[in-house]
Amino acid sequence: MWLWFSKLGSPKWFYELSGRWLPWLVAAMFAFLFVGVVWALLFVPQDYQQGLTNRIFYVHVPVASISLAFFPLMAIAGTITLVWKMKLADIVVKTAAPLGAWFTAFALASGSIWGIDTWGTWWIWDGRLTSLLFQFFLLIGVVSLRSALEDSDAAAKACALLSIVGCINVVVIKYSVDWWNTLHQPGTDFVLSSNKANGPDIWVPLVLMIGAVYLFFAVSMIMSTRNEILERERRSQWVEELVDNL
Amino acid sequence: MKPHRRKRLAVVAFIAVSLSMATGLTLFALSQNIDLFYTPTQVAGGEVNIGQQIRIGGMVKEGSYESANDTMRVMFSATDYVNEVPIQFDGILPDLFREGQGIVVEGAIDSNGLFVASRVLAKHDENYMSNEVKAAMEAAGVNTENQSALAEY
Amino acid sequence: MLNAIQFSSFSEFLNMGGYAFNVWSVYGLFTIFLGANLLVPMFKKKQILKDLKRRRVVNKNARPEINE
Repeated sequence: MWLWFSKLGSPKWFYELSGRWLPWLVAAMFAFLFVGVVWALLFVPQDYQQGLTNRIFYVHVPVASISLAFFPLMAIAGTITLVWKMKLADIVVKTAAPLGAWFTAFALASGSIWGIDTWGTWWIWDGRLTSLLFQFFLLIGVVSLRSALEDSDAAAKACALLSIVGCINVVVIKYSVDWWNTLHQPGTDFVLSSNKANGPDIWVPLVLMIGAVYLFFAVSMIMSTRNEILERERRSQWVEELVDNL
Repeated sequence: MKPHRRKRLAVVAFIAVSLSMATGLTLFALSQNIDLFYTPTQVAGGEVNIGQQIRIGGMVKEGSYESANDTMRVMFSATDYVNEVPIQFDGILPDLFREGQGIVVEGAIDSNGLFVASRVLAKHDENYMSNEVKAAMEAAGVNTENQSALAEY
Repeated sequence: MLNAIQFSSFSEFLNMGGYAFNVWSVYGLFTIFLGANLLVPMFKKKQILKDLKRRRVVNKNARPEINE
């Protein structure tokens, strides 16, 4: 267990392993994306209330729900950075923050465009929308904190702490629709029966799209993590050998 | 685990716990203000002053919708199935507006107890289904209108 | 579970029941969001490797005292 843990923290080991996984993940991502998008756009029946704006649901919901995974991920990696000073953990904190900001920005933008015609407004300061906007600013905060601090060790510590603190907001985002009354609808309970609301004709393509967006998240994270490893380990022997063999 | 690591972990845990407690208490203190709207029952209970700019959330009461022929003016009532508030609005309603729909209105109550709205928003519920499923459920006598949104009010 | 295709013509598909702007701008943004976060790290990797390669060649050819 401890051996595995310290091995996982080794950038070289991660670089080699992820290099083998990456092509498979990319292939799976495109397969899920293709089937998911075609199904969502062409085959999902129009909603009894929203008509064909329900197409937006299939990209908004996966991205918005996965955007909530960034702070917990960064907090776990940040704790490992603070306690065990593992190199790879800080790289994850660094590469997750800008990608998380992209996820949050897309969730906000797609929700706004969805709201124009269904709610009658593109923005309202309700609990859900405000707390998600706050997450966007927190992630921008983590990104700028890193670039503002010149001492990379201090930057790693500060970002790790901010990541842990930011998790509180994730809980607020998640339960905002239950704790307070909001314009945003609460989460949906999907059912197996096909003759009820929220049945398989609605959620099967959603599951495919959630898979696609998770794979995209993994692929993009791995790619930028590998880049960061190359830059940080450039003076190490294995990177020099890798460059020599190009 | 080495002692210095255990100490660092304890410090991190202490900061995380104290910050989440502080946030929790702040949110608890603010919870009234974070609510987006008042319910008709809160309005009936005198929680709102005349002329105060507020939002009210509820369902458009079945059979309450009236529109004037020559102007944009519409009248309807917002209900939480306990109390209701009469609403007057001059403007364009959102696509999802209809009787039985959850809505949020912005405006103020005048001295006659009429809520003059400056904006009407549709509150979509969390149920998604096709016209076929909806028709089948209605044929089976299931009420499909915002069933779970009811619990909110 | 899998219904029939919901559109009878391509123009009906493009029109999206009157919500063409909403649906297509969201899917357009989705494409940009995916594309940017896949292509930028891809080009960045090429850039980094090119840069490292150039430094290696310079370092190897240079005299030891100006090596980093």
